[in-house]
Amino acid sequence: MSDYPVLSVATFLPLVGALAVLALGRGERARWIALLATLATLAAAVPIYLGLDKTSSELQLVESLEWIPAWNIAYGMGVDGISLPFIFLSAVLTVLCVGVSWNAVQTRQREFYAALLVAETAMIGLFAATNLLLFYVFWELMIVPVFLLIGVFGGPNRVFAAVKFLLFTLAGSVLMLVGMIALHSTCGTLDFEQLADAREQLGSGQQSWLFAAFLAAFAVKVPMFPVHTWLPDAHTEAPTAGSVILAGILLKMGAYGFLRVSLPILPEGVQTFLQPMLVLSVVAIVYGAYATLVQTDIKRLIAFSSVSHMGFVTLGIFTLDAQGIEGAILQMINHGVLSAALFLCVGMIYERTHTREISDYGGVARAAPVFSTLLAFFCLAAAGFPGLNSFVGELLIVGSAFATQSWLGAMAVWGIVLGTVYLVWLFYRVVMGELAPNLAGMKLELSAREVATLAPLAVLAIWLGLHPELVLSYLHAPVAELTNGGVTH
Amino acid sequence: MNSATLSDLSVLVPELILVGTVLVLLLLARRIQTAPVAAVMSLIAAVAAGVTAGMAVVSGPQIGFGGMVTVDGYSRFFKVLIAATLALAVLLSVRRSNEEQAPRAEYHALLLLASTGMMLAGSALDLLVLYLALELMTLCAYVLVGIHVERPWANEAAIKYFLLGSFASALLLYGMSLTYGVTGSTGFADIAAALFGRGLETDPILLVAIGLIASGLAFKIAAVPFHAWAPDAYQGASAPVAAFLAAGSKAAGLAALGRIGVVAFESEAHAMSAVLAGLAVLSILLGSIVALSQTDMKRLLAYSSIAHAGYALLGLTAGTPDGASATMTYAFFYVFMTLGAFGVVIALGERGESLDGYRGLAAQRPGMALVMLLFLLALTGIPPTAGFSAKFVVILSAVRAGYVPLAVLAVVCSVVSAFIYMRVAVLMYMREPREAVPPAFPVAVSAALVVAALVTVIGGVLPGSLSSWAVSP
Repeated sequence: MSDYPVLSVATFLPLVGALAVLALGRGERARWIALLATLATLAAAVPIYLGLDKTSSELQLVESLEWIPAWNIAYGMGVDGISLPFIFLSAVLTVLCVGVSWNAVQTRQREFYAALLVAETAMIGLFAATNLLLFYVFWELMIVPVFLLIGVFGGPNRVFAAVKFLLFTLAGSVLMLVGMIALHSTCGTLDFEQLADAREQLGSGQQSWLFAAFLAAFAVKVPMFPVHTWLPDAHTEAPTAGSVILAGILLKMGAYGFLRVSLPILPEGVQTFLQPMLVLSVVAIVYGAYATLVQTDIKRLIAFSSVSHMGFVTLGIFTLDAQGIEGAILQMINHGVLSAALFLCVGMIYERTHTREISDYGGVARAAPVFSTLLAFFCLAAAGFPGLNSFVGELLIVGSAFATQSWLGAMAVWGIVLGTVYLVWLFYRVVMGELAPNLAGMKLELSAREVATLAPLAVLAIWLGLHPELVLSYLHAPVAELTNGGVTH
Repeated sequence: MNSATLSDLSVLVPELILVGTVLVLLLLARRIQTAPVAAVMSLIAAVAAGVTAGMAVVSGPQIGFGGMVTVDGYSRFFKVLIAATLALAVLLSVRRSNEEQAPRAEYHALLLLASTGMMLAGSALDLLVLYLALELMTLCAYVLVGIHVERPWANEAAIKYFLLGSFASALLLYGMSLTYGVTGSTGFADIAAALFGRGLETDPILLVAIGLIASGLAFKIAAVPFHAWAPDAYQGASAPVAAFLAAGSKAAGLAALGRIGVVAFESEAHAMSAVLAGLAVLSILLGSIVALSQTDMKRLLAYSSIAHAGYALLGLTAGTPDGASATMTYAFFYVFMTLGAFGVVIALGERGESLDGYRGLAAQRPGMALVMLLFLLALTGIPPTAGFSAKFVVILSAVRAGYVPLAVLAVVCSVVSAFIYMRVAVLMYMREPREAVPPAFPVAVSAALVVAALVTVIGGVLPGSLSSWAVSP
């Protein structure tokens, strides 16, 4: 056990890195400082892993400091089995983001890496926060760097995408602000655990509208149908690192919010909205999957696949049973790994071809066998190939959905089938066949640095596929606490 | 009434420091037209006034001048805030040597006198003292807006401001006279005592009085529908004067509204709340929406200041001491973020006045763009900036008072205003520059920006830092 504030260190180390980048990062030095800062953060996260007792559902490694005594709000950090995997995923993905941006970002490197590191602080802090105000601060802190990453370093239509992202997320989160303030004025605290104990003070009508207020924020982030429309634009225009952060972590923030706020604190509100949430989830699954079929842009296709995959996550959460929730969390991690990997693959090939149009590709396998193998691997994994990571998560969710209402399970299975179709079709169009004429003569194969960037994710995909207990064993205790705490159907 | 004694004067030390400096400045006016002495003297006076105001004992409120003026936690808070406003405004007024200058001694004398009025407004316990204080502030402000007599648009702005301002002063005075008619007194405590047990039922004229007083004060803080002067005055005035008005006039007006609402009309809190809620809703809506179409930076900030007047009023709307304290917190943080935003406008000179001037600023001057981004985020109310802390406390007090729809409206409008502020951010970060790199600006301006940025960050990281300090009357 360590006796220093591990969580705060892991959270604010990237911020220190960001300041260092701003202060010292002239020219090429910025990326080295950023790499150092992200690796140091990953190292700083290891004691969290070592210090966590996975048999306990309590928040652990708790840090509490007086922050705003006048409002009875403390600065509180802590982890349990639910937040730990997300903290690690954030730390790992940010390192990879630096890796993939190494040569891709040539202009204004200082601002790029500073924004990336601020985003990392926001991500880790959000998953470690033990009270709603701190959660909200990190939630909002995330918006600005992502806005800049998209708007400054993105594609041709980046400004539109960045502003759309900003307005959607802000519109959601301001309603969360009112909800948070209403919670505070009724319960007199914003600590997650104290709020869960104090929830009796909330009438069921109040719980319903509070749920709606938080839903506005969480649904936009997830994103749930029909507020998903910012995602395809943001994903498409963002630089690769931005897409990785968005798909890998930012989308999980919303679902994590459901688990931290809605389920434990507002169970009656959850009950009121249960059926609409389930329906919207399967709509997202099926609609997202069908929408991928008509996309001509690779990144847009993966973006819609995210909508579909996040539909599985919300479906799992709102089955409200332990298996479904565990499956949803596992699936979030899986999706974080795989969508990040797919965006990295697309980013790497885009760096060479400067096109994202599927029709411009073809026969990449002939020019870039290693790239094609990795892409095939990640596509199979994302499609739920047995033995790879998505399979387990989808199985748990679908099983739970069948048990809840069998038509939900049927729709989810249909979503999986469509998922296989669009991923295999994507692979077929990009990789198989004759080499597209406009790609002739290009050096498409990956460099060692790029293979090294993708390798950790490939390892994770296999490891989590063969040994899902790696994540699941951390989830049993806190999820059991969650489902026994009153949110059962 | 007795003649003023030494103990009476001790209540007004900060004001006396400012007035004394004014006298010296005016005596030396001819000699110091070219040297930066005036700025240095004003800065020292501002700091001295702020320090003496801040150190004033608060072992129970002190009263002077027969109960017309007081020093308590409330007035101390606003005096320090106004001293800070003055100090930053003086720093921001330092120009490059090749730029045209207003007459230095007169300019600084007017700034100091206006600040004296603002400080007194926080201390006043009597309607007449309050009126005099506010008039002192406003009269100086008219002249400050038009101090560049050679600029036609400055004259136009000053005349508009003067005409509307006189009208508002008349409303205020009329409201005061009606209050006197109903209660037979102009002292806040006596008014409260006279109103105790009576109400709008017995004296319906009281509603008119409250409405008129609120209207007159709403003019000072530029709340809708008494806002029309602000965009023209800010645009016509030089940027430091606009900054001073946006920050100081608002703080003084809120100080007066707070004390009148909580002390004098305590028993009529619901009537006051209704009036203020109306002003707040209109200000937030109009300020946010009209700002969307602005292309002049000072006009944009003027509409933003109108919207912020609405947010600040949310606290007073609650009609509780907590609410008044929330408004104080809001005023404090708002002063620094708006002075900061104006500071960047000033630092950019001519280029900073139009929205287009911000194109590509991040590529040319990353530091200045980052500071501007900070102030824009604060004005939007995004954590961890002081703007969020301010928004949080006022919305908390609105929700606690049961004004949930008002709170929802306020936050929804903050998304609208996010679009405005982020438009500037988009220009700075996501567009290519069209103009040459802006020249370096005076150290004094940088110093003011650093102070404003520090307060904005610290206020955001430690939102409760003011709570023991912002005590309602």
